[in-house]
Amino acid sequence: MRLTVLLTLMLVVVSGVAGAQVLNVGVGADAVRLDPPDQTDNVSEIVLRHIMDGLVEFDEQLGIQPALATSWDVLNDGKTYCFYLRENVVFHDGTPFNAEAVKYNFDRILGGGLRRTSLYDPYIESVEVVDEYTVALHLFEPFGALLHHLAHGAGLIQSPAAIEQYGDRVGRNPVGTGPFVFERWVPGERIVLTANPTYWGGEPKISGLSFNIVPEEATRVFQLEAGESDVIFNVPPTDVARLERSNKVDVLIADSIRVIYGGMSTHKPPFDNVKVRQAFNYAIDQQLIVDYILEGFGTVTDSIIAPLTTGYYSTGGYPHDPERAKELLAEAGYPQGLTVNFWTPNGRYLKDYETSLVMQQMLAEAGINAELQIMEWGAYISAIFDVNAETAEAELYLLGWAPSTGDADWVLRPLFSSEHFPPLGDNASFYANPALDEAIRKAMTEPDPVKRNEYYQEGQQIIHDEAVMIPLHVLQQIVAKSSNVEGVKILPIEIVLLKDAYVK
Amino acid sequence: MVQYIVRRFLNLIPVWVGVLVITFLIMHLTPGDPARMVAGADAAPETVLEIRAQLGLDQPLLVQFTRYVGNVLRGDFGRSYHTGEPVLSEISWRYRNTGLLSVVSLCVATLIGVTAGGLAARYPYSLLDNVSMVIALIGISTPVFWLGLILMYVFGVQLGWLPTGGSGTWLHLILPSVTLGLAMAGIIARMTRSSLLEVIYLDYIRTARAYGFADNVVVYKYALRNAILPVLTIVGLQLGYSLAGAVLTETVFAWPGLGRLIVNSIFNRDYPMIQAGLLWVSVTFTLVNFAVDILYSLADPRIRYD
Repeated sequence: MRLTVLLTLMLVVVSGVAGAQVLNVGVGADAVRLDPPDQTDNVSEIVLRHIMDGLVEFDEQLGIQPALATSWDVLNDGKTYCFYLRENVVFHDGTPFNAEAVKYNFDRILGGGLRRTSLYDPYIESVEVVDEYTVALHLFEPFGALLHHLAHGAGLIQSPAAIEQYGDRVGRNPVGTGPFVFERWVPGERIVLTANPTYWGGEPKISGLSFNIVPEEATRVFQLEAGESDVIFNVPPTDVARLERSNKVDVLIADSIRVIYGGMSTHKPPFDNVKVRQAFNYAIDQQLIVDYILEGFGTVTDSIIAPLTTGYYSTGGYPHDPERAKELLAEAGYPQGLTVNFWTPNGRYLKDYETSLVMQQMLAEAGINAELQIMEWGAYISAIFDVNAETAEAELYLLGWAPSTGDADWVLRPLFSSEHFPPLGDNASFYANPALDEAIRKAMTEPDPVKRNEYYQEGQQIIHDEAVMIPLHVLQQIVAKSSNVEGVKILPIEIVLLKDAYVK
Repeated sequence: MVQYIVRRFLNLIPVWVGVLVITFLIMHLTPGDPARMVAGADAAPETVLEIRAQLGLDQPLLVQFTRYVGNVLRGDFGRSYHTGEPVLSEISWRYRNTGLLSVVSLCVATLIGVTAGGLAARYPYSLLDNVSMVIALIGISTPVFWLGLILMYVFGVQLGWLPTGGSGTWLHLILPSVTLGLAMAGIIARMTRSSLLEVIYLDYIRTARAYGFADNVVVYKYALRNAILPVLTIVGLQLGYSLAGAVLTETVFAWPGLGRLIVNSIFNRDYPMIQAGLLWVSVTFTLVNFAVDILYSLADPRIRYD
């Protein structure tokens, strides 16, 4: 008898160990809020994408794939999107998923006051329940990037019952339809999820996920090597070569859509002159920055839109030609060169300060004296964006931009349309051009993807010809995993997905 | 004595008020907009405006300040701008973690520091003295994060004896508290040594020796008691310091403590969190020093306060 009990116990323990693999994931920061339309940070979005699904979702090339909606029709010249929902799906708390639930979620967002309300309320006029599994979004006017906005982390659908039940604590009690169920969150320490055995997309092959908050990157690497972590995010580039030599660890490198660029205040001298702006573009050797400063962990880009962002068009860029830069400066009335101020963050993006330092040298070769000034990030973005055309002091500055919607609209419109001057917008170049405004506007209100791309091509060509900014490079994402873990997916929007992960 | 304690305690209150006012002003005068930090890097401008209004940051500074002080007096530290959670609940559990780390590492530091300092003073200018003082110097000048990473690499990655980071069990506490403790032990050791050496040549020690007491009794019972005062001060200061100064250790070992929370909050311009965090740290710091002052009179009955 006792032996049988013992054997049964052992069996339970052994089978438990075999099937029960919780994946330990080392992340650099804690999540802020696990409420999809009320979060803006990367870790919250990553965690939420494992707990919840949206109507549609991104694939690894940022293509739109069905998720809770199995298909959709674009009606009424692009002013109505009709979604046909997946049937027999339930939220983790047992609430059925249906058109009412979708309407509840979007009505909440459109009601305002949430940190991501602005992704939807300028475009969506109303949400209509057509029948139990059909829901229609009525737009104010056609909006070409709508599906991208729905695939955004803010569009994840959560249980209406949970929103009612938890009220303003819903950000600590997320309930969705996703492959993992929220279990607990120890602030500053870890967020634990368990597998959802009845997931509509099939039961996960791991029993759970633990997102462990490890702020120091060297510690994350050590934890992976010591076997305490199975997957780690944001691996420092300096460790990549060493990790690649290990047979216990694999390094995964993927392009992001974060473009690092040099911004210029185009409304004031000297940058109100297109020749000066072109000269700055000719002066910079982007490949050298990628090869020697980023040590290869980046890709040169010729547009403010990254190649993986929907709507990218290759303009060819400006070659590195300091002599041409000098000629242009002379034509612009600066034969002796000129002096500008150059602001840079330090530590916000990979090697941002080092990039600026090298740019300063390159500009010097073209006769430009750029006076470099480092600022702490919070003060930096305030000094660039909380100003108006008169009070803006920045002349040249280094910034990064990644549209979290994966679409060109959320690059060109905020950064270059004349309606978006700071402090009420992000067009810190203070660039205004009716032809560009027109292209952006047409692309925005065009539902046909092919035509949209043509407008974006036009827009990017204008930005190139007018040299509105200096495109530098696209950053890469570096993730490392234990060699026995497979199925790790990296989306270009800086999201790592472990939905399909398994242990060999 | 009681009167002295009460008066010393009342003296603390203006310090706390000062901290309250200064942290509030410094945060609000520092460039950087909390609403923009909350809204995220690619936020729409309407969102920034809306958040600014939600947080009450569009109100005049004086209105914000009186509202804040009123709330603090009622024990309400507000909600974090960043997470929206009550500041008190976010801070208190990290405060506990940091307190645990500080106290344990201070015990490590005192144990090592007083022992090493004592031995060094017992055999002054010997090899033992020189070696332990060189080690103490190394301990003082080694950057904590470097020492932490080395210990982690050796004991966590290579030997696999201890977890490299995180919290939850006593095992998790060993590496961070040894790291932090070793750094503090250096100062304590040097202070113990010099303070003991001053005492050890005094007449009463010579008398004790002449009476034939064992050397150990003379040094550790009679000399140490008189030499301990400055050491006590240093220990008290170190405890206060480690409450907010354990940031590097906390970051390296992924220890969810108060120092890390405050630093992150500064980058995020999370005013309520910074203000409450700094207030808690300074209240603790002043209380520890207050306790040290009281301990003085116990350690040395000659000290009288009127």
